[in-house]
Amino acid sequence: MENFFNEIAELLEVDSVTGNEALNSFKCWDSLTILSIIAHADDNYGITLTAAEVNNAKTVNGLKDLFVAKKA
Amino acid sequence: MGTSDFNPLNLSGKKFFISGAASGIGRATCILLSKLDADLIMADINLKGLEETAKECKPTDIISVMDFSQSGIIKERLGGLVASFGKLNGCVHIAGKPYISPLKSLNEKTALEVFQINTMTALELSKAFANRSISAEEGGSIVYISSVYALVGSSANVGYSMSKSALHGITKSLAVELSPRKIRVNCIAPGFIKTKMGDNISHFFAEGHDEKIGQMHPLGLGEPEDVANAIAFLLSDLSKWITGSIMNVDGGFTAI
Repeated sequence: MENFFNEIAELLEVDSVTGNEALNSFKCWDSLTILSIIAHADDNYGITLTAAEVNNAKTVNGLKDLFVAKKA
Repeated sequence: MGTSDFNPLNLSGKKFFISGAASGIGRATCILLSKLDADLIMADINLKGLEETAKECKPTDIISVMDFSQSGIIKERLGGLVASFGKLNGCVHIAGKPYISPLKSLNEKTALEVFQINTMTALELSKAFANRSISAEEGGSIVYISSVYALVGSSANVGYSMSKSALHGITKSLAVELSPRKIRVNCIAPGFIKTKMGDNISHFFAEGHDEKIGQMHPLGLGEPEDVANAIAFLLSDLSKWITGSIMNVDGGFTAI
């Protein structure tokens, strides 16, 4: 998970993230970006996420927590 | 002669190879072809699923575990099977892998895996089948399964649609190239079918997506048997003057 913030920054189309940002504050936040996060989780971490779970994560840190919880 | 015994779809004495036989469209196809009295080699990576399919087919039909993500296995395996089973009259490539990903999360490794299973395996199977040591002297029929997403665009489907639209090019090229051998090559482009594969990717979408997809099909979502029926037609002599065609079996999806 050490590259998580870099990977998510790329999907969110920004140079970097700190973790505190609200997901819906990003310009690119839409259904396709949510799909990208679900596909990325599946491809790179072998975890299954739903669109509702990603939306409910609220922040980048929340998203990281979700990945960690699913991976456990 | 009466007409009561007339059945141009009778496939008695015909031998076919079916990939993806363990579930969904593959299983429905095997069951239908077996009922039409064809002899089958049924292949899939999933042994348990193959055994379930086999229970509903003729006891003489055989199963073979094959991992289509590995290239170069088909010719050798098929050669060994045909030696005892007899030469084939046709083959159907149904095994496939879905891939939902928008462009920005597209993973090259996954896209190539999908391409290997969905596309390169179709080519490899065709190459093996076209060899006179595998196919019957009188020729035969090859059927691929693509998708409506090889015909129309859809977000987050580029890796999958690429693999399926390539089958359309293969269909046209090989229909011409294999015509001197009397081998017909056709492709079915199904709409959305109620299968386990569809269930496996449902988590990608928000609530209400299934209903929305259903509304895109004037005749509603399809059943695996709807595609199996078209496959049986393309394997039978009823379609003996059809080659190089892409048949939409989609409940009207592409008619809208």
